[in-house]
Amino acid sequence: MDDKTRLAAGIAKQLQGLTYDDKRLAEIAAEVEVLNETVRKAAAQHLTFDDDPAAFASVLAKEAK
Amino acid sequence: MINDDLALRDLSEVADAIAAGRITSVQATEACLERIAVWQPRTNAFLRLHKEKALEQARAMDKELAAGQRRGPLHGVPMAHKDMYYRTGEISTGGSAIRRSWVAPVTSTVLQKLDAAGVVELGFLNMAEFAAGPTGHNVHHGHCRNPWDDKRVTGGSSSGSGASVAARMVYGALGSDTGGSIRLPASACGVVGMKATYGRVSRAGAVARSWTLDHVGPLTRTVRDNARMLAVVAGQDPDDSTTSEKPVPDYEALLDGGVQGLKIGFALPDALAPVEPQIGAAVQAAADALGKLGAVIAPAKMPDFTALYRAAEVIVKCEAAAMHRPWMEADAAYANQVRTRMEAGFFIPATQYIDALRLRAHFVREFLDAAMDGVDAVMLPAIPFPVPTIEETDVEASGGPATLSMVARFTGLTRPFNTLGLPALSVPCGFDGNGAPIGLQLIGRPFDEAVLYRIGHAYQGATDHHRKVPT
Repeated sequence: MDDKTRLAAGIAKQLQGLTYDDKRLAEIAAEVEVLNETVRKAAAQHLTFDDDPAAFASVLAKEAK
Repeated sequence: MINDDLALRDLSEVADAIAAGRITSVQATEACLERIAVWQPRTNAFLRLHKEKALEQARAMDKELAAGQRRGPLHGVPMAHKDMYYRTGEISTGGSAIRRSWVAPVTSTVLQKLDAAGVVELGFLNMAEFAAGPTGHNVHHGHCRNPWDDKRVTGGSSSGSGASVAARMVYGALGSDTGGSIRLPASACGVVGMKATYGRVSRAGAVARSWTLDHVGPLTRTVRDNARMLAVVAGQDPDDSTTSEKPVPDYEALLDGGVQGLKIGFALPDALAPVEPQIGAAVQAAADALGKLGAVIAPAKMPDFTALYRAAEVIVKCEAAAMHRPWMEADAAYANQVRTRMEAGFFIPATQYIDALRLRAHFVREFLDAAMDGVDAVMLPAIPFPVPTIEETDVEASGGPATLSMVARFTGLTRPFNTLGLPALSVPCGFDGNGAPIGLQLIGRPFDEAVLYRIGHAYQGATDHHRKVPT
């Protein structure tokens, strides 16, 4: 079991109270790594302190035709 | 024969004929029931058919009309809907085994609106389990099958909505769209599907897949029918705080503006799956047809969809994991591919989920500034490859990475527009080498569904893809 899979096993058991086999944990770890990395990079590139999740609805309303 | 001809007519034509007294709602309902008797065994589009109740409703609608009362623009028109719209006292399975016998305690806002407009309800339609699947596979209720070729998928998750409208079993149907679930079956079945702007249609009383990305909308045979149906179900709803207070336009009255002078961006983006040549050629031909009608076609500057797509994945997995947790902990009866798509949601940090939400405003601004700069709409395919078979997309046994890969290929060109919340319309634009339909996708500015309908209507006036009926 590699470090990422071990971490996923810890999250599953200690934080979420869930049990998965090692193969599935490795798949989940790989999937989460890709998603996390993409969002983390995009956030670092585009987000500032003042960015609010609710701005999305405001942009739609302001840009409405 | 008379009834078959009646079933082949469009929603608006039938609604107007009922209003004018040329036909009755009972006749239209019987015509649909005759089609259903022939097509249900081939497609498995219906989960529950309410034959007697529908006829009773149709008789009541005819009586009201005879007394001079027309409820609205859909008075007496038979429809059926994805089995995720609640009606008080009725079973609502959400396509699942878990809710096979669950009875809804409320009626969804959109069904209330259709009731008020006079719609006759034929029953409820097949769908992917909990709206989680882009193909139309369902291990609990049986796969839905494409009316054009019963070995091929319908697209999902609104599989029964696409199949029933395409096979002329109903005149219109509600679907829902979290990553393409209206546009994919519309494309694969050769019908029109609208995912309106986020906030345009209420989600209250509908099964959620992701509160943030879910969109409710109609599937119909023509753009005109779709415009009429959206106008009925759209609008602000106190039971869904995300709905917009913007007034709902009379979409149908705005259909005939033509496309002269409209500027349309054209793109064949390779987002997670390359656009196959025959699909690209069909969409190019549609662009050429619109150009001949007077639209100005220009290359669209599309942003990279990768981050948009993965942000949507983060959001949907986290929200789905949260809402399904009690059943997942109890090891309830999910299909393998449905369960495995949600599991990562338990492992994604809350900060990443929140950042994905925060990024949406940036993504919308970026798309509007780049792809939609100076254009009225953007056009691209809905599905980037020919409609596959049920067998070659059946990943139930493999799950995990195989499921993710298949989902990504299907939804690569649709899911980004759920993250953006922009209106997106799928319109039939031809047939692939196997004889299955191809869908053209049109994207608009926020709340500009009207321009998409205008373009789609002009296109349907110049082509006959939507007039072809599966046999």
